[in-house]
Amino acid sequence: MQTDQPNPRSIVVRAQRALDGVNLAMAVLSALAIGLAGCVLTWEVIGRYFLSIASDWQDELSVFLLVGATFGSASWIQAQRGHVSIDAVAVLLSPRVEGWRRVFADVISFAFCAFFALKSWDLLMEAWVDGQTTASSWGPPLWIPYGCMTLGMAMLSLQLLLQILAGSPPRAIHLQDGPSLPNNERLLP
Amino acid sequence: MSPTTLGLLYGAATLAALFSGLPIAFALGSVATAFMLMFMPVASLGTIAQNVYEELASITLLTIPLFILKGSAIGKSRAGRDLYDALHTWLHRVPGGLGVAVILACGMFAAMAGSSPATCSAIGSSGIPEMRRRGYSPGFAAGLVAAGGTLGILLPPSIVLILYAVAAEQSLGRLFLAGLGPGLLLMGLFSGYAMLHWRGEHAAATRLAAAGGERSEILRVDSYTMRDRMQAAPRVLPFIVLLIGVMGALYGGFATPSETAGLGAVLALVLIAVVYGAWRLTDLKPIFAGTLNESGMLLMIIGMSLLYSYVMSYLHISQSAASWIVGLQLSRWLLLAAILLFVVMLGFFLPPVSIILMTAPIILPPLRTAGFDLVWFGIVMAVVLEMGLIHPPVGLNIFVINRIAPDIGLGAIIRGTIPFVVLMAIGVVILSVFPGIAMWLPDLVYGR
Repeated sequence: MQTDQPNPRSIVVRAQRALDGVNLAMAVLSALAIGLAGCVLTWEVIGRYFLSIASDWQDELSVFLLVGATFGSASWIQAQRGHVSIDAVAVLLSPRVEGWRRVFADVISFAFCAFFALKSWDLLMEAWVDGQTTASSWGPPLWIPYGCMTLGMAMLSLQLLLQILAGSPPRAIHLQDGPSLPNNERLLP
Repeated sequence: MSPTTLGLLYGAATLAALFSGLPIAFALGSVATAFMLMFMPVASLGTIAQNVYEELASITLLTIPLFILKGSAIGKSRAGRDLYDALHTWLHRVPGGLGVAVILACGMFAAMAGSSPATCSAIGSSGIPEMRRRGYSPGFAAGLVAAGGTLGILLPPSIVLILYAVAAEQSLGRLFLAGLGPGLLLMGLFSGYAMLHWRGEHAAATRLAAAGGERSEILRVDSYTMRDRMQAAPRVLPFIVLLIGVMGALYGGFATPSETAGLGAVLALVLIAVVYGAWRLTDLKPIFAGTLNESGMLLMIIGMSLLYSYVMSYLHISQSAASWIVGLQLSRWLLLAAILLFVVMLGFFLPPVSIILMTAPIILPPLRTAGFDLVWFGIVMAVVLEMGLIHPPVGLNIFVINRIAPDIGLGAIIRGTIPFVVLMAIGVVILSVFPGIAMWLPDLVYGR
């Protein structure tokens, strides 16, 4: 009798597709957060000098938005292999050893990010249970940035895990290539 | 285990992690976490997320994505080409004026965009083909743009100076002002070399033409009327207004550095929408995607570098390394030379952001003890880090140029950049002999 065994590889592919959708949504939210932070800080100047409105919430809101954008986009960046590394040794190794080196790098990265996500979760729970807020007079709850950090690092860990299971393609970005460049469409979604 | 042994182990583990191909951010984070696990109380492991958040949640550090957004908006518009074209019409009578126009355009663009690779790419994509069309040798053209691009980490709003301000606990306003004089000094040195080299290439082309050989385009004489010059000016005027307006808001006391970053980003987006009609989703998508890619990657490195430095400090590695350097009792200038050499060596394989955050706790205390002004040192360090952008093996700008003009070849590009590495070294010597070049402006504005 023949049974239909699910192909583990196709599960990884489907999981990656699903994560791609979430990554893209988080990237859009992160881009909006950066744009909004710019508007908030611009409003701070306009409000103070032209409308004589004194307020103290703009800097903290901007910090929350930008922390959210940094962690929220981490998995989307990793999906494009956008976290730069030093690949100087790669050219000296045989393809087989180089393959193992890449898997090793991904496994260590995954272990670290998963551990970090776990510790972020502990921080989030503590902030939620104790009702922690920032020390300012505005006092927004700290679970918001901690939540962004936990979600971002958990997604980043999942992205790394899927890349390990799928078998890593050659790196898209090397240190030599540097960060994204103005006309470098290759890095864009 | 003594701090010295721990320090050696920490350094060796870091090198192993970096060269094993781990992304720099995760390599630094993994090493820091492993050392926390082995040599620090177990409870400290519970604080790693909080440590990273508290270090990262600084409004100064978080100006970085906004300055990157500003640079990305300007970089993806035609501003670079317009700037360079306008400067060329005004400088065509100067011998080697095309090269000088490239250097000036790089300096002005860097001051708007704050990024070396962005400057290189924006000015180089039009400047290199034009210089080659006008008979400049490919290596010389590539070297000019690569060197001009490095001004991005010296002129405000330099991301490297923002990080240095955080790491060294120095005033960002003073650092930004201190970068202006040395930036102009380097622009002067680069322009002087451009004129001298042009004379050499022009003389060789003249001899060749006189001997009946091919007449090079370098011998062609440009002529632009005053009308041409005046027509070119309005295209760059809005960006000069942006540059001066944003810096005016900062130093006029209207806006803090973080507000300046927000204001600059919003104004840059408004300007490219008004001047170039770039307001549709298809125009904005690459701008924001580029910003996310670069700022997310950089801030992750910064957060983990700060965790790395925290562990180094907790285990007394940085303190004992600093004490060891002080104990060597080197003369003031020998100490500076040794530290700068160390920075150059790190520049062979690490990006400037990591170098600053990882080395600051070790190198700054001995420099402070030796009586160096840390704002001045920040500028000298930025110039040295600039050298790392154009020397092999990982000179970022070399590879940017290689991508813009792949037919020039890496060998020719590197040969073209070497004279500029020497000029930067001369710049460091000049800044050491005349520190006032960097310090007169901040001292004038903020007092001593």
